[in-house]
Amino acid sequence: MLAQVFAVIIFIAMFVFIVTEIVERHIVSLVCALLTILFVFGIGMHSMTAVIETINLKSIITADFWYLSGESGESSAGINWETILFIFGMMVMVEGMARVGFFRWLCMRIAKLVKYQVIPLFITFMVLSTVLAMFIDSITVILFLAAVTIELSQLLKFNPVPMILSEIFCANLGGSATMCGDPPNIIIGTSLGYSFTDFVTNTGLIAGISLIAVLIYFYLLFRKELKAGAAEVIDYSSLPSPESTITDKKGFIISSMIFAVAIVLLVTHAQTGLTVSAIGVIVAAATLATSWKYAILLLKKVDYKTLLFFIGLFVVIGGLEQTGILEIMAAFIGKISGGNVMAMIAIIIWLSAIASAFVDNIPFATTMIPIIKSLSVTYGVDLSMLAWTLAMGTDIGGSATPIGASANVVGIATAAREGYMIKWGQYCRKMMPATVMVVLIAMLIIYVRYL
Amino acid sequence: MEKQLIISVGREYGSGGHEIAERLSKHYGIQLFDHNLLDEIAAEKHLDMRNLRGLDEKHRSRLASRTVRGYSSSPEENLYLLQFDYLKNKASSGESFVVVGRCSETILKECDSMISIFVLGDMDKKIERIMRLYQLSKDQAVWKIREKDMKRKRYHNDHCDGKWGDSRNYDLCINSSKLGIDGTVALLTEYIDKRHIQQ
Repeated sequence: MLAQVFAVIIFIAMFVFIVTEIVERHIVSLVCALLTILFVFGIGMHSMTAVIETINLKSIITADFWYLSGESGESSAGINWETILFIFGMMVMVEGMARVGFFRWLCMRIAKLVKYQVIPLFITFMVLSTVLAMFIDSITVILFLAAVTIELSQLLKFNPVPMILSEIFCANLGGSATMCGDPPNIIIGTSLGYSFTDFVTNTGLIAGISLIAVLIYFYLLFRKELKAGAAEVIDYSSLPSPESTITDKKGFIISSMIFAVAIVLLVTHAQTGLTVSAIGVIVAAATLATSWKYAILLLKKVDYKTLLFFIGLFVVIGGLEQTGILEIMAAFIGKISGGNVMAMIAIIIWLSAIASAFVDNIPFATTMIPIIKSLSVTYGVDLSMLAWTLAMGTDIGGSATPIGASANVVGIATAAREGYMIKWGQYCRKMMPATVMVVLIAMLIIYVRYL
Repeated sequence: MEKQLIISVGREYGSGGHEIAERLSKHYGIQLFDHNLLDEIAAEKHLDMRNLRGLDEKHRSRLASRTVRGYSSSPEENLYLLQFDYLKNKASSGESFVVVGRCSETILKECDSMISIFVLGDMDKKIERIMRLYQLSKDQAVWKIREKDMKRKRYHNDHCDGKWGDSRNYDLCINSSKLGIDGTVALLTEYIDKRHIQQ
């Protein structure tokens, strides 16, 4: 009982400190992790085994951590090192790509392909945002896309805000389509043993159908605003050529090849047996080996704060899991849904979406994984269906408010630094209906396809 | 003016700090940046002023905003950064100007040509001034002074390591109630002239 009280207090305190940003979130999660080890596992449970299980270092030295010879399995509780290593590897690869100008080149190449026409640019940038976010973290996608959008808006004389908002939404949508698109998906995939293909054929399909609806929605919403003031005659000489954005030609080719290999490895990982942690290490090693001159620079640019935040978070959630709090929460959801699967899905998807609109979706998804596992066991509901429901809710819900997802914050800040302020009201008026629409689409597809 | 001169004026509400800054700007024939800083930025970047007004010198809401890898979703925070960049660019281009508030004493700390001043005042004199200027009752004036100063303090302390009004952050702190506006301006110009010659 004492351990449960400690676990809940630490968890709530962690959330409050993360939301209020009094201290940086990685410090909050690490301090809370330490408190979990001391108070929950030590004073409350007197269990060294719980500490060892949660730290979970032994998982790294098992063969399954790197290579799966049979069916992919569920990872044990505690720190999900597979997620940490994969995200680290992808961060190194993305920094390598950014260094050689890959993202700016891609944006400019597409802009040139559509002859710098505003509406085609608007549509293609939304699609580009979706596709890139399927493989790369949404922060990087928006960082480059929003910067290029502002640059082009100044040259082509259109308001960049509608385009940036649409790109943000599509980055979050693209992230939901694959296992590596959004951190909650990586955590769900590695914790429950799903492959890249599992995600693409389930959440990917939902995201694909939703994308069509989103393209229509944003086109109808923004077409007049985008056309107003857009330059009718374009001075092509003032526009940067795609080639001029490449800073290192040889490095560009190598980075593109590593990116292509990463996609192939991810798409085929269920067949090859390589785990995402192995893929993360392979792409990081390849990037560092091929650009060894810049290896230290690339390693310095990795967002270690996020990785530390993950580590702390996994320990705190481990505290809730070990003390049985999450099972109590699962029982509560089961009770209010009356064991009805449709109600259960509705509760999970809307609860996830609403929570993710206001708080970080990573701790939320991490907390919910043991809950859906428990619901699946107790009520005999297909776990994968609950996993896709959770993934869609957490990934899409974040789009609803300016603080819901990292891509939103980065997009808003990039626009604001050029003077285009996107306030809460303006943001929510445009993005909330789109979020509700996609969550509804996702829920309906889940009902029709799986029930 | 040959040599660059930047005067940063921090002030308590009702102390007459803004009027003093205006007088200094006129005296030295240099531009004054106060609320008009936003107009300058909006004009330069072809922005809609309606979007920027109301955010100036406002404290960001921790609950309604989030920071990711140094990027903030807070419009107030981003407007601060926009003004920060603008003032930095102005200073590095060699221009002379007077700037009121906006954490300028911290933002432009590295500029040798910057002289930072904080103007304070006695409470009774500040109340008298606010009652006279805005036709307010004594209670209303007290409330307005406290509210404005609290906002300025929160805004400043949110962005700067040094505290608002702390004498260690400024070259000179002066109580305008003792010499009046004219006397304070006279004393300040004497100080600024001496500092300017030394540079």
